[in-house]
This record gives sequence, C-alpha cells and structure tokens, in this order.
Amino acid sequence: MRALPLVPELVRQLFRRPATNRFPAKYLPPSIRAFLRDVQAGRAAVNPPVPTPPRFRGKIAYDRDSCIGCTLCVKVCPAHAIEFIPDIKKIRVWVDQCIFCSQCTSICPKSCLSMTDAFLLAGEDRYAEDLIVE
Amino acid sequence: MTPAEIALLAAWCAALSLFALAGGLLLSGIDRKLAAHMQARIGPPIRQPFIDTVKLLQKDTVVPANAIPWLFNAAPVVALVSSVLVLFYIPVGSTMPVLGAYGDLVLVMYLLTVPALALVAGGFASGSPYATVGAQREMVTMIAYEFPLAIVVIGVAWRLGAAGISHPFALQSIAANPVWSVTGPLGLAGVFILLVVLAAITPAELSRIPFDTQEAETELAGGLLVEYSGRNLAMFSLAQAAKTLVLAAIIVAVFFPWTLSSFLAMPPVVALAADLLFFLLKAVLVLFFAVTLVRVAMARFRINELVSFYWVYLSVIGLAGLLLLMADVIAGPLAGVGI
Amino acid sequence: MSGESKKAPYRVPIGPNHPALKEPVMFTFELEGEVVRDVDFAPGQAHRGIEWMGMRRNPVQIVHLTDRICGICGVVHSLSFSLAVEQIAGIEVPERADYIRTIVHEFERIQSHLLWAGVAAHELGFDSLLHLTWRVREEAMDVIENLTGNRVNYGIVQVGGVRRDIVPEQHAIIEKCLATYEGLLDTLLSFFLDDRTIRMRCRDVGVLSRKDALELCTVGPTARASGVNVDLRQDYPYAAYGDLDVKAVLPDRYLGETHGDVYDRIVVRLLEVGQSCQIIRQCLSEMPAGPITAEEKLVKLLATCKKATGEGIGRVEAPRGECLHYVRMEGKDSPASWKVKASSYSNLMSWIPMLRGSQIADIPIIVASIDPCLSCTDRVAIVRDSRRSILSKDDLHRLSVEKTRRLQG
Ligand code: SF4
Ligand code: SF4
Repeated sequence: MRALPLVPELVRQLFRRPATNRFPAKYLPPSIRAFLRDVQAGRAAVNPPVPTPPRFRGKIAYDRDSCIGCTLCVKVCPAHAIEFIPDIKKIRVWVDQCIFCSQCTSICPKSCLSMTDAFLLAGEDRYAEDLIVE
Repeated sequence: MTPAEIALLAAWCAALSLFALAGGLLLSGIDRKLAAHMQARIGPPIRQPFIDTVKLLQKDTVVPANAIPWLFNAAPVVALVSSVLVLFYIPVGSTMPVLGAYGDLVLVMYLLTVPALALVAGGFASGSPYATVGAQREMVTMIAYEFPLAIVVIGVAWRLGAAGISHPFALQSIAANPVWSVTGPLGLAGVFILLVVLAAITPAELSRIPFDTQEAETELAGGLLVEYSGRNLAMFSLAQAAKTLVLAAIIVAVFFPWTLSSFLAMPPVVALAADLLFFLLKAVLVLFFAVTLVRVAMARFRINELVSFYWVYLSVIGLAGLLLLMADVIAGPLAGVGI
Repeated sequence: MSGESKKAPYRVPIGPNHPALKEPVMFTFELEGEVVRDVDFAPGQAHRGIEWMGMRRNPVQIVHLTDRICGICGVVHSLSFSLAVEQIAGIEVPERADYIRTIVHEFERIQSHLLWAGVAAHELGFDSLLHLTWRVREEAMDVIENLTGNRVNYGIVQVGGVRRDIVPEQHAIIEKCLATYEGLLDTLLSFFLDDRTIRMRCRDVGVLSRKDALELCTVGPTARASGVNVDLRQDYPYAAYGDLDVKAVLPDRYLGETHGDVYDRIVVRLLEVGQSCQIIRQCLSEMPAGPITAEEKLVKLLATCKKATGEGIGRVEAPRGECLHYVRMEGKDSPASWKVKASSYSNLMSWIPMLRGSQIADIPIIVASIDPCLSCTDRVAIVRDSRRSILSKDDLHRLSVEKTRRLQG
C-alpha cells in the first residue's frame, strides 16, 4: 500500500461511524415542510445540531426597556441593520441584514443588546416576524 | 420455435430487462453508499438512483441548437437497449442465458462496445466542445482496454478448450466449468492474474474514476453527457446501471460461477431465488473491489496515462497470466493429474 | 466539431461557471488535440463594489466589511485595513493584541491551506482526500469559532487591537487542536505526497520557473513553490511576527529540489500548516499580559479616526500571498480613498506560462494550484451602455495616472 497510502484508512473508515452530523435528519426528507410539521406534532424527532461554543454570536436580543435611544449602535452597525425610530426613541434590528459582528453589543452604553445562541434563522421571508427584533 | 416458445422467451427477456435495470440501479446505490462510508459520509440512501431516475424522467429534455437531433436522441436509446441486451447472453444465478444458444463470450464483448459507441455518437452529435473532447477520449479509452480484454477472454476460453471442454467460448460451458477447477497451481496464478486484469478494465468500461476521463466532472463538466438532460439522460444513466450489472455478471460468470443450489438441495423455486440473491451478493463483492474501492482510492488518470496503463502495464500483466496458463497446460501432464 | 482534423486548433471556453472553477473567471483555451496551445482569461466577473460601500461608512464599520471581501481570509483583510488606519491615526496597538491577531491569523492559514488541499484533491478526481482534509479542517474551524464567536467572517480585529481576549480556558482548546494537527501532519503529507496517482498528476505539471515567478511578481505559496524566498512575515514583519522566528517555507528544504510545479505547491502549503502550528504554540507561550486594544471605548475610537488625516498601507501575508490595503483619510467619518489588492491579483498572470503546453486534464489542477480567490481580486468592473468593455494597457495606465493626480490633490 505504499503507492496508495489512503487505502487502509478508507477500509478502516468503512467500519466506523460516518463523521457527518445527522442534523436535522439522516436523509433529506421528501418534503421539508411535512417533516417540520411532523416534528411539531411530535411524530418525528430532529437530530440536534453541533452545539455552539460559549460566547457564540447568534441572533441579536434587545432589552427594549433599558434602551435610552442614544443611537450609538446605529452608528457602528456595518450592515445598516439597525433602524432608529425617533417617535419612541427606540431601535429596531432587521436580523436579515445583520452580519453578526456584535459591534452594537460592544458599544451600547446600557448593555441592552446581546447575542444569543440562535442560528437557525434561514427562512423564505426576510421580513418574517422572528427576523425583526424590537 | 413454436409460438409458445417464442412467447416464453419474450417473457423471460422482459423479466430480465426489468431485472437488469432494477438490479443495476440497486448496485449503483450500494456502490454510492459504500463509497460514502469509506469517505466517512453517510451518503444518499440506497434507493437514491431510483429516485434520481424517476425525477429525470419527469424533467424536460433539451436538445441543443447545434446538435444533430436524430443522432442526439437515438444515442441514449441504442445505449440502453444494447446494455440490457447483453444480459440475455449471460447466466444470472442458476438461470442459463436466455439467448445463450445464439451467442457466446465473443459476441458479448462486441455487444459491450455498442453502448460506448452510442455514447461517442451522442457526444459528437451534441455539438459541444466538451462533449467532443469527451467523445474523443471515450474512443481512445475503448481502444486502450480492448487488447487486455481480449487477452482475458482468449486466455480463459483457451484454457477451457485445452482442458477438453467443448464450446469453450460459450458462456454456459464457462459457467458450468469454473476455470479454477481445470487448472493446476501455475494455472491458478494465471487465472488470478486474468481476474485482476478484467477487474482493472471494469472502471474504464463503466467510466468511473480513475478512468473516467471521458466524463471527468472537474475537467469536462460531464464530457459526453454534458448536453444531455431529462429523459435522454435518464436513459443513459439506466444504461450505465444495466452495464454495471452486466459487467459484474460477466466477472461472476467467468470467474465465480458457483451457485448455491449446486451445493445444497432445495426446491426449484427457492433455488431460483437463493441463487439470484447469491448472484447479487457476488456482484456486490466484485463491484466493491473492482469499482468502489478503486474509485475512492485514486486520482483520475490523464488520457495518455490511461493509454499507457492499459497498453503497456495491463497488457504485459495479462500476457504474463496467459503464459502461466500455457505453462500450466504443458506442465499439467508432467506434474501428474493428481491436482 | 469532430469533422475537423485533430490537429486544427479549436477553442474551448471554460467559465465563468464550470465545475472546476470554484469562483467565476472566464478562460478561452486554444487547444490542439488534448494540448493547450494558448490561453486567455478575463477576470472581473464578480465585482461587488465593497470599496464603494466603504466610502459611506466609518473605519469601525469598514473593518467588518473587509471581513466579507473573502470568505476564507476573514482576518487578513481586516488586519491589513486596521494596520493602514492605525498608521494614519498613529494608534499604538498593545502587544497582547498583536499576539492574538497572530494566533487567529495562523489558524486562518491552517484552515485555508487545508481547504485548498481538499479542493486540489477534488480537482484531481480524488474525492476521498477532499472529504478527509475537510473533516480535519473542522478542528481549526471549531477553534476559530471558539475564539471569535463566528466560524467565518470572524469580526475579531478592530482598529487599535482585537475585540476578544484569549482566556486561560481557551489555551487548552488551542493546545488540543495543535496537537491533533501536529500528529496528523505526517499522515497528511504521506496521503498527498506518497500517493502514486497524485504524484503522476502533479509532478512537473504547471511548472512556473523561478524567473517567471519573479517577473510576474507572484506572491505567497505560488512564489515560494518556485523557489522565490518571499514571505512578508519574514521580510516585513507586522503584528507579533517581529518577535517570532518565521522562515519562508521552500520546497527544497523538504525535498532537496525545486520543480516549481503543482506538487511543490502542495508541499509548501502542507508544510505551512505545520509551521503555523509552531507559530501559534510560540505565541501562546510568549503572549504578554496587558490590554487587548488601544482604545476600549468605541466612541473615542470613532473620534480618533475621524480626526485622522493622511494615508496608510497595510500589508499582510495572507494564506495566498501578500494582501495590501491602501487607505486615505481626510478628517471625515469615512475614508477618502480605500484600495484593496488581494493576493490572487498578483498571482493570476502566472496561469498563462503554467497552462501553455499543458493538457486539458491538467487545467483544473493548475488553475486551482495558485489558490485563486477571484471575488477578492475583482475590484473593478467597467460597464458602458450596459456592455462590458476591455481596457488596454495604455487606458489603464492613463486612468491610474489620473487617479494618482487626483489623490495627490
Ligand atoms: S451585530 Fe453587527 S450587523 Fe448585527 S445589528 Fe449589531 S452591529 Fe449590526
Ligand atoms: S446603543 Fe443601546 S441604548 Fe443606545 S440606542 Fe442602541 S440599544 Fe439603545
């Protein structure tokens, strides 16, 4: 096997468990929607994703009550994902635009912005309710 | 032949065609699964080739503007029909070839070139530079493996003939008298070498890595097949599946023809099923070593490397096997018939 | 079509989209049988106007924009941009920040080179090796995610320092990853270099002579594989490299000879994975304590940047070679000018001598062998009346003179 050094590894691999993470299911379900419905109804189970590390930069969370409307976060957001609403002196984050740089959370004087572990944000509607944080 | 006989023959042929397609797809699925596991992936489910075929059949068939439509559309049909046809001449399990009376191993070898020629014609008819390059490469590949293939066929048949077996080229007699059983120790080595040579030709016949220069996804984007879509592509992939089964069947028939029913007594219906399963098992094993393991363990050859591999290395190895067989025949009487 | 004789040259377009090309570029090959007679290529298929976006943002924002110039070199661009801005604003980066920058930078090199090795194997039709390298690459990605919070586009560098410290608990994680790679390196080298089929496909394929490499100003592993001793980390140290002992990896140090072929490029990149492990190890043990940024308060940082005037150049040894950022600030929120030269820009021209005379089968691996990153390279696209036009050398020269005049005011 000197000429083909990979062969022993391949044969060994044949008897090991594959490295692929089975998230969300082992095989692509014939219909994703049906699968999700089944999961919701408890008829099917989702294989868990790889756990996120500590201090992961996921979907933004906003503590509306402590925000003082200083607009600093708006100034540093590279993606223009934060909108300031002057009437109520609060902000609104458009998560579909957010690039998870965590700059806003660093600058906020009241620490009312933070990053969560949520990363399953893909969807068909950019303006879906759960993609707008306010 | 009486009409009843013809009807029976037609029924057999229809059943075999179905078996060729379904079995071929199943073998492709198993191949993909095993390859995936060797690469530490889960891979698609074994039924995936069936799903793909059904999906392709539902899709639009596009004929490129500068293709030659009749040739472009005829090529997949010819490839599919000829691939399935070959199986009629090869024993499967304990069933002897349905058309065995009308053709032998030499005919099978000729028939095997037809799907490849259809691919070449389809490639040239596509009017795409990728397909043209692919078609040229396919022709070169065919010429390259033809010689070692001939060595194997002639070697086996000649040895059987030398052992006094009548009709040595007929697959029935090859299957009924495993070559291993008629040879001495030298011959065993010779037969083994021929088996290796035939196994080494299989990936090229099936255009698999390392000899898939004619399709070469990363070079020619699918080469010969680049312009094919929908039903036409489905036919080509079915032809490919059938060919997979056929090649496995040839190797099994020539080198591993044993059946379960010849060892264990069982009622005929059970024997048929058991032999069929046993045949599939042998086919999976043969394909694993000849195709799956090879295709995951190597990089793709360049076309000139492919040619020198077949013309020089494999031919020399094949001839060495042939010489061993000859030596075996000569040494046979001297060493005594005790073996 | 086939009717023509095999000797007549024919043209085959490859790209902008082709399975062998991971990024868009348009090749036109003139072939004779299986042999490449001549080749021309047209980049500029993926211009995204990032500099234009930068002109409307302040440096604190742009740093995160630079992350997106390349999906693989997430830290290289933000680092060289920050270096340029720090030069202009006269910001002194704390030492600890320099070490952290270096560590992330080297992890990026590890994952980038492994990624490349996988792609190269795939181009050769050797998918098992692709899956294997990408699987071990995960280890580096996990560490990066742990250090920065993101798998790609790390957002760890900020003007003046870094945004996250490496805490003691993370040392163990890094050590574990380094140990894995150091244990694996020999196996990987053997998988790639001892394999007969790979050797057959890569040895003396896509040769770039030392002379051509120098004349075409190639950079990074492409240049080093041809025996050119260049590496910014050694020649023009930035971040913590001045304190470290970095020597350019050259193929003859490992194999005793330099061919300047694809095989040598594999050698250089794989050895650099080992070198990066050593650098990280050294950084971890020598990392001084202290602050991780020159300016904790972003508001103050913004003010400093706003006041700054002048021009600066940041140069960084990216996994693919030198990456350069030119920034000019004129006392406004946003820079007055910002230019990016990604490493592939310097390497693209080396395709021509490599590809001439090669076989069709070698095109994918040769194209991939310089590890081209075209989306990072495409910094300009010219469209007039919704049609693309090609600029000649004279046009380009005139335009650049004009631009320089404009910048000089
Ligand atoms: S994380 Fe970055 S991109 Fe997202 S809202 Fe905050 S500043 Fe904007
Ligand atoms: S920086 Fe914090 S306090 Fe200021 S507007 Fe944003 S969220 Fe509110």
